Amino acid sequence: MSASDPMARNYLDNTSDDPTRRAPLVVGDNDFASVTETVCRVVEMPKTPPAWWIGFFVSVSLAGVLFAMITYLVTTGVGVWGLQTPVAWGWAIVNFVFWVGIGHAGTLISAILFLLRQKWRTSINRFAEGMTIFAVVCAGVFPGIHIGRVWVAYWLAPLPNQMAMWPNFRSPLLWDVFAVSTYATVSLLFWYMGMIPDLATIRDRAKSKLRFYIYGILSLGWRSSNRHWHRFEMAYLLLAALATPLVLSVHSVVSFDFAVSLIPGWHTTIFPPYFVAGAIFSGFAMVVTLAIPTRYFLHLEEVITLRHLESMAKVMLATGMMVGLAYSTEFFIAWYSGNAYEGFAFLNRAFGPYAWAYWIMVSCNVIVPQLFWFKRFRTNLVVLWIASVLINVGMWFERFVIVVTSLSRDFLPSSWGYYSPSIVDVMTFVGSFGLFMTLFLLFVRFLPIVGMAEVKGVMPQAHLKDVAAQGHGDYHGDILTERGR
Amino acid sequence: MHYWRSFDELEQAPEFREAVKREFPNDEWDRLPPATRRQFLKVMGASVAMAGFTGCRWPKEEIVPFAHRPAGRTPGVAEQYATSLELGGAALGLLVTSMDGRPIKNEGNPLHPDSLGALPAVAQSDILGLYDPDRSVQPLLRQSGQDFVKTWDDFASWAEGRITDSGAGVAVLVEPSSSPTVERLRRRFSDVFPSAEVVEYAPISRDAERRGTAIAYGRPLRPHPHLDRARVIACFDADPFFDHPASIPLSRQFAEARKPSPDGISRLWVAEPSFTITGGRADHRRATPASQIPRVLAGLARELVATHHLELPEEAVNLESAFGATIFDDDFIPDLAADLMEHRAASVILVGPAQAPEVHALAAVLNQGLGAVGETLSYTDAPDPGRPDHVEALAGLTARMVAGAVETIVILGGNPVYDAPVDLGFADALSAVPNSVHLSHFNDETSRVCSWHLPRAHALEAWGDGRSWNGTITLRQPLIEPLYGGRSSAEVLAMLLGESPPSGHDLVRETMDGYLDAADFEASWKRALHDGVIADTAAPAVEVALDGSLLAGAVASLTEMIDAPAPTVQGPELVLRPDRKVYDGRWTNNAWQQELPDAITKTTWDNVVEVAPPTARELGLKEGDVVEITSSGATLELPVCIVPGQAAATFTTTLGYGRTAAGSVGDGVGADTYRLRSSASPWGAAEVGVSRTGKSVALAITQDHFAIDPKGFGARNSRIGILIREASLDHFLADPEVFHHMDHHPPLISLWKDQKYPGEQWGMAIDLNACNGCNACVVACQAENNVPVVGREQVINQREMHWLRVDRYFKTEPGVGPYEVDDAEMVFQPMTCVQCENAPCEQVCPVAATQHTEDGINAMVYNRCIGTRYCSNNCPFKVRRFNFFNYHKDLTDTEQLQFNPEVTVRSRGVMEKCTYCVQRIQKVRIAARNDNRPVTDGEIVPACAQTCPTNAIAFGDLNDPTSEVSRLREDKRAYATLAELNIRPRTQYLARLSNKVGGSEPAHHAPAHHDDADSHGKEG
Amino acid sequence: MSTETTTLTDSPAESALFGLVADFDKIDEFLDAVRKVREAGFTEWDTHTPFVIHGLDAAMGIKPTKLPFLVFGAGLTGCAAGIGLQWFTNAFDYPFLISGKPLFSLPANIPVAFEMTILFSAIAALVGMLAFNGLPRLSHPLHGSRLMKRATDDRFLISIEASDPNFDHIETRELLQSLGPLNVEAVEA
Repeated sequence: MSASDPMARNYLDNTSDDPTRRAPLVVGDNDFASVTETVCRVVEMPKTPPAWWIGFFVSVSLAGVLFAMITYLVTTGVGVWGLQTPVAWGWAIVNFVFWVGIGHAGTLISAILFLLRQKWRTSINRFAEGMTIFAVVCAGVFPGIHIGRVWVAYWLAPLPNQMAMWPNFRSPLLWDVFAVSTYATVSLLFWYMGMIPDLATIRDRAKSKLRFYIYGILSLGWRSSNRHWHRFEMAYLLLAALATPLVLSVHSVVSFDFAVSLIPGWHTTIFPPYFVAGAIFSGFAMVVTLAIPTRYFLHLEEVITLRHLESMAKVMLATGMMVGLAYSTEFFIAWYSGNAYEGFAFLNRAFGPYAWAYWIMVSCNVIVPQLFWFKRFRTNLVVLWIASVLINVGMWFERFVIVVTSLSRDFLPSSWGYYSPSIVDVMTFVGSFGLFMTLFLLFVRFLPIVGMAEVKGVMPQAHLKDVAAQGHGDYHGDILTERGR
Repeated sequence: MHYWRSFDELEQAPEFREAVKREFPNDEWDRLPPATRRQFLKVMGASVAMAGFTGCRWPKEEIVPFAHRPAGRTPGVAEQYATSLELGGAALGLLVTSMDGRPIKNEGNPLHPDSLGALPAVAQSDILGLYDPDRSVQPLLRQSGQDFVKTWDDFASWAEGRITDSGAGVAVLVEPSSSPTVERLRRRFSDVFPSAEVVEYAPISRDAERRGTAIAYGRPLRPHPHLDRARVIACFDADPFFDHPASIPLSRQFAEARKPSPDGISRLWVAEPSFTITGGRADHRRATPASQIPRVLAGLARELVATHHLELPEEAVNLESAFGATIFDDDFIPDLAADLMEHRAASVILVGPAQAPEVHALAAVLNQGLGAVGETLSYTDAPDPGRPDHVEALAGLTARMVAGAVETIVILGGNPVYDAPVDLGFADALSAVPNSVHLSHFNDETSRVCSWHLPRAHALEAWGDGRSWNGTITLRQPLIEPLYGGRSSAEVLAMLLGESPPSGHDLVRETMDGYLDAADFEASWKRALHDGVIADTAAPAVEVALDGSLLAGAVASLTEMIDAPAPTVQGPELVLRPDRKVYDGRWTNNAWQQELPDAITKTTWDNVVEVAPPTARELGLKEGDVVEITSSGATLELPVCIVPGQAAATFTTTLGYGRTAAGSVGDGVGADTYRLRSSASPWGAAEVGVSRTGKSVALAITQDHFAIDPKGFGARNSRIGILIREASLDHFLADPEVFHHMDHHPPLISLWKDQKYPGEQWGMAIDLNACNGCNACVVACQAENNVPVVGREQVINQREMHWLRVDRYFKTEPGVGPYEVDDAEMVFQPMTCVQCENAPCEQVCPVAATQHTEDGINAMVYNRCIGTRYCSNNCPFKVRRFNFFNYHKDLTDTEQLQFNPEVTVRSRGVMEKCTYCVQRIQKVRIAARNDNRPVTDGEIVPACAQTCPTNAIAFGDLNDPTSEVSRLREDKRAYATLAELNIRPRTQYLARLSNKVGGSEPAHHAPAHHDDADSHGKEG
Repeated sequence: MSTETTTLTDSPAESALFGLVADFDKIDEFLDAVRKVREAGFTEWDTHTPFVIHGLDAAMGIKPTKLPFLVFGAGLTGCAAGIGLQWFTNAFDYPFLISGKPLFSLPANIPVAFEMTILFSAIAALVGMLAFNGLPRLSHPLHGSRLMKRATDDRFLISIEASDPNFDHIETRELLQSLGPLNVEAVEA
């Protein structure tokens, strides 16, 4: 809507909920060309801004730390971490689950919101998908390096080998291998496919030969032919339909790593839904954490609007409450089951040596999101950003609590222990953020971080005067479709 | 033994060179300039070559009979030889496994009265000392602060010049030895050099017992309790199951007497300052400050005489004037007295070596009065009755040294500079002696003060002999040529007598002339070597009669002791005891012993001071806090370990640590508590100063610290009763199912059809009623399975590698907080892989590195393992061990000689665990298959079961209903731990039986009423 | 700029001609034009838009694609492959006893089978789409077109190929002119 709109605090605020009017998903006096301009401007910047260089330098050096730590680990032994008996899984696995969880928002926003015809997804899905890929990359690092003999990790794959042995498909870890690698592949396909038309846009605007060829090849010679669009949409719809159960399955399988074991605190059937909710929760938190600075630095306020952020805050509120429900259900079941070991596992979480971690988790994941009941906070970028960061912290601690406290005190009191990380643990985790940010910065600099083709599709200008003639519109989710009728 | 203390030591080159250098006997190495890479390689090559050598050396004297195999040696097939090891003045019989000429494992000699096929941990670990790269490798002569490498001949000619005509000014300081050969040579030495003196000293001895019996009976005697015949046993600061030369027979006798039977089992009463493994088996135990033991015993005597009108022998009546009042306000003493009276002639009172002679005398009197002598207690004459007490003798010698009366002193073994009582000032006296010689395994504290250091032959390198505690002659034959040309003390004695080079073999044969059948000496000699013992040479029991006059003389000092004030937190008491791992310090450089968790405190790599929880609370001490203890002028800093069942205001610590010249393993480990030890009161002191330093250290404890958060404390206490089931004998006889009603869980059903297990199915049964937590099995497992040592820091990181551990729990009154516990019971549970049929570890391994064999073993495929550690997480017993580093990387070539070639040495990043000694199973299987017969029950014996002093571990085929293990698992006491998980452990436990006065409900017994649909602990 | 200039400057020989392109900037006008072109009975023609336009498929009369069937087939294959793999490796080729469990049991195989299903179908969806679209094709005559440059930005194009039987350089150009485009461009083959 325009700046003259009386009910807008400023023209950027499109968060009003007036049922009679379709709230604009792009604000300002934008037409198709200006959207193209806004998004491509970032990629086509003649010289990279110093802010980017600073960020990039920091990220790359942190990524360097990660690889230094990995080298030390591989050459010396897993003992450089704080691991021990009974706590044989520590930060590495915590980080793995943490990153995989974050890696869920992208595909979720793209796929599920797509199927649910949530048009507001269009401005953020590209960006979120990118984040997904990078998070999954970070996640992939940890299970790889946490094993004792990294050099034989390939035994996890069902490859014929000198022992004529095959992996054991009864092991949740192996399910994990399949789930996570599938997820990574599909997310990548999904992300790339959605990007093809926009890559073509950049190709067609290319000033230099080099750009022309690079983006030309990346866009596979896309001619925006409607006959192509037709199949493209179908493929996108199918991928979305496939990705949705995939997202749910991946974190469920990750949760099996724990649920299938018999350790009190791990051995619970609630884990799959609980983990998925947590994943979505943390994923959205991470999107918000990244979106707020990005839209500011790259002047994308008109495309990634306040309304988008507010919607994500609502999702966080909902998923945060689900997570909270899961926490309390766990306690109830622990008591209700009458199993002494189970009961102690949870008392120990809340009041044992790791109580501090437990209460950090609860306050960040359950209490902080309650702010989002109030529009004032949902639409206050500072509050929103801080809250989303806290939620990420809380979600990391959730995994820490699950992995470490359960292991540290299981059945035989004689083997109880207390785990604390080594400096290498810490540096490795910090390093993984470096890797993540490095990839993210490269992405914003060289790839279209907003799906232009999709955004244009949901702009008012794209809507026909004569509605009767409307065709399908799955790609940006119009309810009225040929097949829909 | 080298291991990782820290990551900085990963780059080991210098240490490695050092070790090789020490190992390579050539004086050129002593003057090595800073080694260059070339030299490094040279040394490496040399040492490798050398390893080859030592590997294929055979004893030259080709008269080594086989203990187990008929003649005809097959390379790669292990053989066992009978030999022995001297410990605390008595010889322990060994069967040593030798692989291609390399001794690799010490086991007990079944024919030997003191080992009965079993061995205490220390004796098993001793084999590591044979390959210790820190051992001294050549005679050294010290002149003006410089070391010169010499030969034995140099020493011989030197000695010739020094020890002349009457031997005036010559002193020989020897360790107590039961060896007839040493005895013979000592006599000869005294004959040849009449004016030379021979003094005997050891920091830890049973002299008080000697003197006590001397007071009671007029001559020193050696008491031999027969715990199998005793129905009531009362221990006063005594630890017969551990701190006794005959601990193994005593433990076994007790275990026998505790086997459930309708006509009852024996009852054990203990009063001691801090927990011992004997105290752990007690039915009634009182934590009593060491200084109060006399009062307790006197109180008992009074009760017996006054209440029960026990007639003391008239020689002893004048003792009665000393009997004070009892110190306990409860029924401990009255009940004990009544019990003793009820079982006259079937009871025995034991007093520990740390108690004063008068207390032993009193005990002797009571035993006499209760008619124990001849029934549950017999006496033999103490060897060398004339000798003075060790401390006395050393004091005298030191005085003469200070007076300059000693020109030349020869110290054969021992380490007096380190372990002599501080007030004697032995070290200074020694350095004042012009010529001093020290024979020792290591270039240790004493050697460094002496002008001559001689390398001592290890027990497995030298010929020798000894007597068991009951006097049975025991032979020692070498299994390997001396690696570093060391010689035994007998051989050196012979050298002093002008024999050079001495032949240990001939010396022993000469001695044996007297004991073997002269008619057919060769045959009986071979027989003796084969058996390791000479039958029927035990000392005869002697008739004893009390000596009234001496007893009367003891009254005064006894009264004084009885009136000794009880310690208070302001004036606490210090108790010094031999260490359960390094003993008097002789095993300080033994990595296995260092890493062995102490039976009670579970500490490794340290000596701690044990403090009772209430005392700790009063002084504001937490576990690991460092306290400063001041006694006899010296102050010492020690970390606190809080142990329930410790006497109030009593600080117990152990000897043998804080060495400065022990070697790369033992140097600087712990604190030197000998500095607190005076000749007046060698076993502790009253009114010592204890103050907090504010410092605190991390203790290398392998099991949970005692004092933890209330939640954990409560949960732990509630589980002990279910993990380690215990009931009184009466209760068990009344309700045999009692142990299966202790846990309740729904019926166990599988989602799938259960597997069938035909053929041999291995299983194990561990009798908690026999186990006394002595740790022998832990070391046996370590030696058999090449279990690595990880070092202090890694133990603190909870990365110890022991496949078999002994869990120790304290049973405290419910509802009592950690720091309120003033007394507790202690229970043990040996815990290792129980080989679950539905093993949780197997299903989670992504590469199937751990899977089930067809004979039901949960096998671990090391070369398949990629180290996800998921199996360890999913193991409810946490018995899997992970190689966080390559712990074998830095072993020297000599140390590698000890490895058992039949067990894979695990690499870094690999999980490992107990496999029921699968290599032993296969060995027997193959043998059986070769002479095509079935494996007979009891033929396969895992290392832990083999060495168990109390035969608590049974192993065999579960599908054979007649096998021992099947029989035991049918026992009503048998139960599976954590059965409710439906994991079906192949190892089951047999519950503990208590025998309190008037019986008692089993602790932590769950309410009897329960849903009948419930299943119980029997499943699995 | 007038349409004349654009059209008269280039009049290449029919042989060298790929076809004609016209561009629009109003969606409604564009849609009308599309319908007209369709009515004119062309077959070898196409439209090019920066994003999906509602009703365009209907206006052009494009039939639903076969892609779903391909993906479904791939999914079935993936599922079968998943279960087959687990049966072959763990129950047939190298069976070992694990936790006393059966060698082959479906419940334990579901996760892997499911992931394989998704993986196969996802790859089929992308590859199939590209294959049906004849992509990647890096050199296409239309890439030479000036107007096409904005088809990925804010213009809506109609292209009619010379290979169409009804195509006649002059008439077709006039037809396009009559639809009121911004420009008409002849694109060389």
